[in-house]
Amino acid sequence: MGTKARDNTRTLLALGAAAALALTLSSCSSGSGSSGGGAKSITLITGVKSDPFYITMTCAAQAEAKAKGVGFTADGSAQWDVSVQRPLIDSAAAARPAGLLVSPVDTTALTPSLKQIQNAGTKIGLVDTSVTDPSIGITRISSDNVKGGQVAADALAKQMGEKGSVIVISVKPGVSTTDDRIKGFTQGMAKYPGIKVIPTLYDNDLPATAASQIQSTLAAHPDLGGVFAGNTNTAQGIATGLKQAGKQGAVKVVAFDAEPDEVTALKANTIQVLVAQDPAAIGAQAVDQLVASFDGKPVTASIGTTMVPITQQNMNDPSISKYFYKAAC
Amino acid sequence: MTDRQLPEWVRRTLRRNEAWTFAILVVLVAYFSISAPGKFFTVYDITQIAVNAAIYLVLGVGMTYVIITAGIDLSIGSMLVLAAVAAGEYTIHHGGAGAGWGTVAVSIVIALAVGAAWGALQGALVATGKIPALIVTLGGLGAALGIAEIATGGQDPAGAAAAHLQNSLGYGKVLGIPWLVVLAAVVTVIFGLLLGGTRFGTHTFAIGSNPAAARRAGIPVGRHLVKVYALMGLLSGLGAVMWLASYGTTSIAGHSTDNLKVITAVVLGGTSLFGGRGSVLGTVIGVFIPAVLTTGLIVVGVQQYWQDVAVGTVLVGAVYVDQMRKQTRERI
Repeated sequence: MGTKARDNTRTLLALGAAAALALTLSSCSSGSGSSGGGAKSITLITGVKSDPFYITMTCAAQAEAKAKGVGFTADGSAQWDVSVQRPLIDSAAAARPAGLLVSPVDTTALTPSLKQIQNAGTKIGLVDTSVTDPSIGITRISSDNVKGGQVAADALAKQMGEKGSVIVISVKPGVSTTDDRIKGFTQGMAKYPGIKVIPTLYDNDLPATAASQIQSTLAAHPDLGGVFAGNTNTAQGIATGLKQAGKQGAVKVVAFDAEPDEVTALKANTIQVLVAQDPAAIGAQAVDQLVASFDGKPVTASIGTTMVPITQQNMNDPSISKYFYKAAC
Repeated sequence: MTDRQLPEWVRRTLRRNEAWTFAILVVLVAYFSISAPGKFFTVYDITQIAVNAAIYLVLGVGMTYVIITAGIDLSIGSMLVLAAVAAGEYTIHHGGAGAGWGTVAVSIVIALAVGAAWGALQGALVATGKIPALIVTLGGLGAALGIAEIATGGQDPAGAAAAHLQNSLGYGKVLGIPWLVVLAAVVTVIFGLLLGGTRFGTHTFAIGSNPAAARRAGIPVGRHLVKVYALMGLLSGLGAVMWLASYGTTSIAGHSTDNLKVITAVVLGGTSLFGGRGSVLGTVIGVFIPAVLTTGLIVVGVQQYWQDVAVGTVLVGAVYVDQMRKQTRERI
């Protein structure tokens, strides 16, 4: 008995140590890539490095920085995770860039780090996501997500014939962007008396969870007519879940963004509506604002960029297809 | 206990490790069926629970073997991703979504081979006895995922699954039962019998109970461990094929918690983390308890955060009951 209990504790300790080790390893490996030097330079830290949304934003910011004659470096978290992004921000700050653009992955957890950087004299701009503390950042540029949620609600209601149940399956709570979209979506749906909004589910970015959740929801609400998918992974899980339940096309799916595989899904009719943001405008305007502040010119504290609904009907229109995100510059 | 008044077969059943976890499963199903009449435990609902559990079941079967040897494999999600990426890249360069049956067959072989090879490599390291399985597979977890990310640039490549694969294994049905479920059931039965009724299975238990004694008894412990970890890898590769078939994408970021889910299921099923004890049947039950809980709670309409609380509570409770029973038995 005694030895067994000791073994138990030892296993637990080992697990804990291993987890800590894993975290350190992963954060170290992604912590490189930023460098100081030059006269005025801007560093951009995005939410997820490999996400076409952020790639599109980075490309536009880079082009704008070049046009304005300031230095530019960019990096991003490997995952949407505070523990991954925070060391990245801290190491970028160590180079003391004149300007720092960040897409914080949490509304509060990064505030202490950012405050410290701001106090050290770096001008901070928040792009895409933001933090709750209003003293952080001289400018905040993002899509008007509440408005985007309403755009999504209107487009989905139209697809559903303005009746039935509708559910939001999102990634996780506490992300300003998606929280606002859900708020706007719920507000938008309130206009339609024939539509009932079921409480939101969260899938932690796991497509398998989203697939099981949508199927369970179908069991509980046979009149389900529409789903609002929080992101690409979620949309993929929902598409699989609906297909396995034989409900693909019958239950309409609206998703945000216009990433390459989402555009493919729209063509294949597994997603019926995409609400695209304008990441290029966010990146370019963010650089403009920081450069203005370097020159002592006035800065706009808050900028909301537009959102565009894309369906199979309008996706080939060049004025719409320019909103498709890019996988590389 | 009034054991003496019960018929012999009931007593024998109650003494089985799986009996109590099975009772929990039955209680859960009964509870949800009564609370949501006509919505839970319908043909539709059972099918969807089984489809969603299929991949975890296949992984759980392999994990049962690993844990019975007193080992652990944290890398299963990463092996799955690596195998999926390898198969996916082959498919992309040989026809993509419209690829023919030949490409599908080769991509399946690639997924299985990559999984088995990675598993065997980890098994060989564990078999040296110098590095604990926890560390070997933790390293493997990072390395396999890293290689998959290098190969793809961190993004799920488009056209990773052929339409033929998706329409057959992914969404196809035979006699109303999805192919995914049939495949998982076949794997479970084969490896359940292999564990319970062959020398391979006996050696697995012996190594987990006491590796030194097993070695003295002439069991090639090292070689057997390589086989067990290779089996885990092979089944992760099969999981990758099933994933590509049903989701059509490699989902590089979507498998970070597969290991915890599968280990939870195996432990729920009564397999001892200290090795030497466990069964595939228990794992089947262990896979279905969380699946039934999450589906049931959504159908009943319970707020989502309660689902994690419920799964956690059932896990700790089930293991506690199991340990209590074991102690009682030992005292007798």
